[in-house]
Amino acid sequence: MSKKIIAIISVLVLAALAFAGYKAFLSPKGVEGAKEVTINIVIEKEGIDKTFTYNTNHEFLIQLLEENKEELGITFEEFDFGKMITGMMGYTADPTSEYFHIYVNGEDATTGVAEIPLNDQDSYTFELKNF
Amino acid sequence: MNSKDIVLIGILSATITAGKLALSFIPNIEVVTLLFIAYTIVFGYRKTMFVSLIFTTTEIFIYGLNTWLLVYYFIWPFLILLTEIMKKAVKSEYGYAVLGGIFGYAFGFFFAIGESLFYGIAYGWAYWIRGLLFDLIHGTSNFIVILTLLNPLKSLLSKLKMAYYREKS
Repeated sequence: MSKKIIAIISVLVLAALAFAGYKAFLSPKGVEGAKEVTINIVIEKEGIDKTFTYNTNHEFLIQLLEENKEELGITFEEFDFGKMITGMMGYTADPTSEYFHIYVNGEDATTGVAEIPLNDQDSYTFELKNF
Repeated sequence: MNSKDIVLIGILSATITAGKLALSFIPNIEVVTLLFIAYTIVFGYRKTMFVSLIFTTTEIFIYGLNTWLLVYYFIWPFLILLTEIMKKAVKSEYGYAVLGGIFGYAFGFFFAIGESLFYGIAYGWAYWIRGLLFDLIHGTSNFIVILTLLNPLKSLLSKLKMAYYREKS
């Protein structure tokens, strides 16, 4: 086998190990079982400040949002980096200047909406912001 | 710099933009790193610096002015400088494949620093962690692309360079 093929295979194996390490230690994990969570949507310019409480067995926030898509008036757009919320309560954010900022228990979310795990008694706030 | 150099810089800039657009449907697999390294080795860092400036400015025309594009003004010249420094000591494609690999793995980190300056460290940290899998693809694919394509590209570009500068303007 040529030296280059061995180098390529070695790098691919290392990448696969790093991927497994990321999945095991760094990627967010969901929690199974019943949870009560709160979703708060704030769109100040439209005078919207609504709170919804859900009992759910889902593990990730995205699953809950998709299940209640109609009630929350939510729209998503699929990008190569993942799913992004483009609209809530029937209001579509202007992609050139607005986005929905996500807070988990009042703190800035550290991942995208698809990776936020649901935890019992957590509150998730979506606030329209300008950038 | 003569008129041939100016034309050459324009052509090289166009090839990088075209190379990026051609592969843009595959996340984080690109030939931009390969081309910047090859251009620096064959044409030198001065011309390639101009190419990087034109490439980034063209990106702004295509995608609009974004914070991540501002980082492009630093990150590509940084790669060109590293290649120029390595050029005298490293002749093997393995060295450049490692450079491109590390560059790809650290790509998100560079942008996270840029994003931190605009939106705070918490956002930059989240940005970096969120993109780690993309960096993994980026660094690994850079290594493979450079290892397999750098040498053929270098010899082709060297021949074209000789023919280009031999012809009378």
